[in-house]
Amino acid sequence: MGQAQAFETDFWKDANLRKMWDDIVPGAPRKTLSYVLTQEAIALYCKSVGETHPIYFDEAYARTTRYGGLIAPPSIHILLMFSCTPADDWMRSPGTVNAGQSWSYNIPARPNDTITLQARALDKFIKRERLFVVHDNVFFNQRGEVICSGRGWTIRPQ
Amino acid sequence: MTTTFENLKAGDTIDGPTFAVSRESIRLFCDASLDYNPLHLDDDYMKGSFGKTSFGGIIMHGMNNFGLISRMITDWAYPAGAIHRRLETRWVKPVKPGDTIQPMGVVKSKQETAKSRWVLIDVLVRNQEGDKVATGEAMVEFP
Repeated sequence: MGQAQAFETDFWKDANLRKMWDDIVPGAPRKTLSYVLTQEAIALYCKSVGETHPIYFDEAYARTTRYGGLIAPPSIHILLMFSCTPADDWMRSPGTVNAGQSWSYNIPARPNDTITLQARALDKFIKRERLFVVHDNVFFNQRGEVICSGRGWTIRPQ
Repeated sequence: MTTTFENLKAGDTIDGPTFAVSRESIRLFCDASLDYNPLHLDDDYMKGSFGKTSFGGIIMHGMNNFGLISRMITDWAYPAGAIHRRLETRWVKPVKPGDTIQPMGVVKSKQETAKSRWVLIDVLVRNQEGDKVATGEAMVEFP
């Protein structure tokens, strides 16, 4: 597993390096990166979906809760999916259309956690002329504890 | 009334937050999620077609729906001491700048297992026309 480099926001740049639907092998692991989740990244994610609960922002309040400190919202895996994968990961292929996702939550991610990901394509199929890939993913913290696990269904660009 | 496992019943509703979608909100979600897919950024690119689908302009991230639904569930669960354990969603209609969307939930059933108590919730997101843009199911674990 590598370390995260500066994030490339131009998803066209490495497009030719990414696997197309035909190349994706269900069961083959995806390359992943470890990522330190900062309070700033959590706050930016919260802002983007309007999260205002103090358990994400107010340390004094968070200490009084069952969690004993600040946590990230469960849906922080939306960010982790891109922060824990490299620029040539096929999830970044321009035109990738998200058809649906399912996620199970075990324990919350927290500020300063070092997050790792185990990920693979699980299945691929054709339906109504569209090329689908099912991907499955498990995020862990630095103690090897499962944070959350999930599957996504994407329609691949042709 | 405080929400408890005992007083919840099928058909109870959960109102989520309204969310005004704009080019700026979509760009903010790009920066927050690191998902810079041109579907969400590039109008010229979006004039094309995607296999069998044509969008006509940039669209909101499907996962922005997911984040709003999750926000609704956690804001509802935390005061009850409950934990958001699962969310499954499907996107049924694209969301575009200028739309206003709102998630909601309907309690579907309750179930006790050997070690815990669960509430199953049907969730959906509607746009300003009342059209469903996302549907799904959530599971919340109660004390």
